Amino acid sequence: MRRLFAWWGERALLALVSVIVLFPIAWMFLTAFKRPRDAYSLSLDFEPTLQNFATVFADPWNLGDMVLNSVIVATVTVLIAVPCASLAAYSFSRFRVKGRKFLFFLILSTQFIPAVVIVLPFFLMFRTLGLLDTRVALIVVNLAIVTPFVIWMIKGFIDAIPTDSEEAAMIDGASRLRVIKDIVLPMAAPGILTSSIFCFILTWNEFLFALILTRRDAVTLPVGLVSFRTERGDLWELMSAAGVMITVPIFIMALLIQKHFTRGMTAGAVK
Amino acid sequence: MKDRLLPYWLLIPAFVIVLATTIYPLAYSFVTSFREWDLTKQRRPGGFVGVDNYLHAASESGFQNSLWVTTIFVVTSVALTLVIAMSLALLLRRKGRMHTFTRIILILPFAMSPALIGVSYRFMFNPEFGVLAKGIGAVFPSLEGTPWLADPDLAMAILVLTDVWHWAPYMTFMCLGGLASIPRETEEAARVDGASNLRIVFGIILPQMKGVLLVTAVLKTIFALKMFDQVVTLTGGGPGVSTETLAFFVFNVGFKWYDMGYASALAWILTAIMMVISIWYVRMLLSERKMATA
Amino acid sequence: MAEIRLVDIEKKYGNFLAVPKQSLTIVDGEFLVLLGPSGCGKTTTMRMIAGLEDITSGDILIGGDRVNDKPPKDRDIAMVFQNYGLYPHMTVRQNIEYPLKLRGMAKADRAARVQETAEKVELDALLDRRPSELSGGQRQRVALARAIVRKPRIFLMDEPLSNLDAKLRVTMRAELKHLHHELGVTTVYVTHDQMEAMTLASRVAVMREGRIVQLDTPKRIYSEPADLFVAGFIGSPSMNLIEGAIRGGVFTAQGVSLPVTVSDRDDVVLGVRPEDLEIIQRDEAPIQGRLYALELTGDSTLVTLRTGKASVCARGPADFEAEINAPCHFAPKPGVRIHLFDRTSGQRIDGDAAQGTAA
Repeated sequence: MRRLFAWWGERALLALVSVIVLFPIAWMFLTAFKRPRDAYSLSLDFEPTLQNFATVFADPWNLGDMVLNSVIVATVTVLIAVPCASLAAYSFSRFRVKGRKFLFFLILSTQFIPAVVIVLPFFLMFRTLGLLDTRVALIVVNLAIVTPFVIWMIKGFIDAIPTDSEEAAMIDGASRLRVIKDIVLPMAAPGILTSSIFCFILTWNEFLFALILTRRDAVTLPVGLVSFRTERGDLWELMSAAGVMITVPIFIMALLIQKHFTRGMTAGAVK
Repeated sequence: MKDRLLPYWLLIPAFVIVLATTIYPLAYSFVTSFREWDLTKQRRPGGFVGVDNYLHAASESGFQNSLWVTTIFVVTSVALTLVIAMSLALLLRRKGRMHTFTRIILILPFAMSPALIGVSYRFMFNPEFGVLAKGIGAVFPSLEGTPWLADPDLAMAILVLTDVWHWAPYMTFMCLGGLASIPRETEEAARVDGASNLRIVFGIILPQMKGVLLVTAVLKTIFALKMFDQVVTLTGGGPGVSTETLAFFVFNVGFKWYDMGYASALAWILTAIMMVISIWYVRMLLSERKMATA
Repeated sequence: MAEIRLVDIEKKYGNFLAVPKQSLTIVDGEFLVLLGPSGCGKTTTMRMIAGLEDITSGDILIGGDRVNDKPPKDRDIAMVFQNYGLYPHMTVRQNIEYPLKLRGMAKADRAARVQETAEKVELDALLDRRPSELSGGQRQRVALARAIVRKPRIFLMDEPLSNLDAKLRVTMRAELKHLHHELGVTTVYVTHDQMEAMTLASRVAVMREGRIVQLDTPKRIYSEPADLFVAGFIGSPSMNLIEGAIRGGVFTAQGVSLPVTVSDRDDVVLGVRPEDLEIIQRDEAPIQGRLYALELTGDSTLVTLRTGKASVCARGPADFEAEINAPCHFAPKPGVRIHLFDRTSGQRIDGDAAQGTAA
């Protein structure tokens, strides 16, 4: 009897957690498909419409431009950060060289520097260089946040790969660089992919830099949300539609690499 | 060996990035923090004013308020996140379809843009048509029509709520990782010895989770100290200045008032706080690792 | 094929001295086993030969060339790792082919050589599988094939059998021995398993705390251990070691009195192997005590008696039976070897053979 109670209690708790997690997301998705009139009612009985998506992609909102900005900024940041970080992570993971501890310490510490500290000088520099409101500026500052994080994460993955195969390859006649290319990269590929997606998500969701450094041309999706706050009040149905656009690609990515995702999140910190 | 320099070559690209995107701007803002530089008046940086900017911070009420707000925010959100994350981890560690499903969807809040989370909660707590505001009103009629985000304490509470919703899942995964590394035998031995569930959690599991919980707490503290996104999209720092966190205050000084010197000084105060915690954290990590490999 | 010479090699990790100045010559074509408990420096020594570990000081010569500064790939060695070190993302064929590919061998030649090698280790049916689809024994064969495919001058094997189950280990051991006979390549083999060492080696180097304590043929290591450590390490069940003193040409300890040919002294440890003892039914036996345990091993029974603090084990006939705690008597079999060691230094003290004199 008590057993049964505990069993159902556990399921009920799990269901409650799921509701708490899913409800805000579900509500946003529902609102995105409501007519403006329905958006302000709590009714679930509404006629779904794609009108909001049509509106946000049209003038004056032009969400398409923001999507493009977000995609370009996040992709280029990943393409720069991940290869550089992978090499560094391998070096940190495998070599016991002088100064290694200090360098790793330095890089880890920078991960915790508040973004607002970095963005001040960058704002001033980009202003001088005429780079304000450009994607280049966003990519540069995003690298600051993302690179240490990715180094840390990939190092966690590489640490978990036994060195046997690498040593075997060296004895079989491969140079270090050849070992990295033939053995380490293929073996670390899932970890590197996971880190890349992580890095993409971080950049995609980044708000502070984009808020400060962009105005019109390089605005990314999260900052775009703010523009739906108009004199006529907050346009919730349009915000929700934009929210869906921000969320869907990220959710798909996160769920695709679900298993590695949770491992990667904890790899650096717990181990 | 010819490969002797390779470890350093491999580090160079990443190091150049970190140097250019972090170390250099830090140095730049450090220097700026000792200067007078009001962007609305001067295009170029003004003269050095010693530690005036720092002294100004010490006496200014806006800064003191933001320190207080940040402290309240950090303490409540870290405590809540930790308790919830640990409880969720205990709930989720067993195998089962519902467990797996819950574990999978827990990824979603963390993957969601914090700015968007702020917007969503703002919508849901709108007193006229917010689904949560209305829902709470329906269950507790006395709370119907509460202006949730217009009340300083409630606004702070909702800010904490959004942060916990965002971060507790991540921290749950960290706790799950920690739980997985505890040998099953100790718990089973206790169970055989006749310990109750509660005793097992408090007497056996939590003591072994100390390291992981410590790491989680420090990590969460660092993230909480940076709180910015939801402040902008949820409360806008208000009502009044009741949710103006340090990061948001620095942002206002820098990009509303354009006082670069003062903003830099404030940013450095924030950095100093974070640095102390980070260095402590990294030390702890390194020493834990040493213990683990010893 | 080549001779390996280690000259005064030393390895330090920071302040920790893993291997103090050691010299060792491994003769061309021999099968040398480095044997010792974990942490004794045997793997470090092998990794220094491989070039996976830098040498703090000293020289390593392979076939007369000083290789200290050569990376592993230029030493013309092959190595089999404890965890096999297979390339998980490559098929068995690609695994075996990889060393040849790195050496720029033509594609057709490679294919032929891989085929030939795979047949030698009976892997030809599995060439297109991945390591994750193989059993432990099959993985072991892939590692072996990858090592022999290149025809290197030297084989290094780091506990290659320790991850296999007991039965497979015996089979693979025989295969290794046969392979060495067939190829005749100088082989260095690391293990903590004395049985493997005894069966495989032409010579065994027993190591302890980074030092080689005895280097000899398996036969001599067994019959004439240089010190207490080797005596206790080799043989299963291990040698009985009894502390006592020599008085009037007789070794005495509680319940033990055995005539020996060493002059009187204190602080002696007497060693006698269980298989050199027999159970007798006489009251004035050299070793007397009470029966402590009986363990049937199939072909024999291990009989342990206790006298004072010491226990002594003898290998008796399989059908031996007695009550626990009953009086029990052992005597050395005629003509067997009794070993005597200095208790403090651990060194052997009976210069020439001390014959057991069972009356």
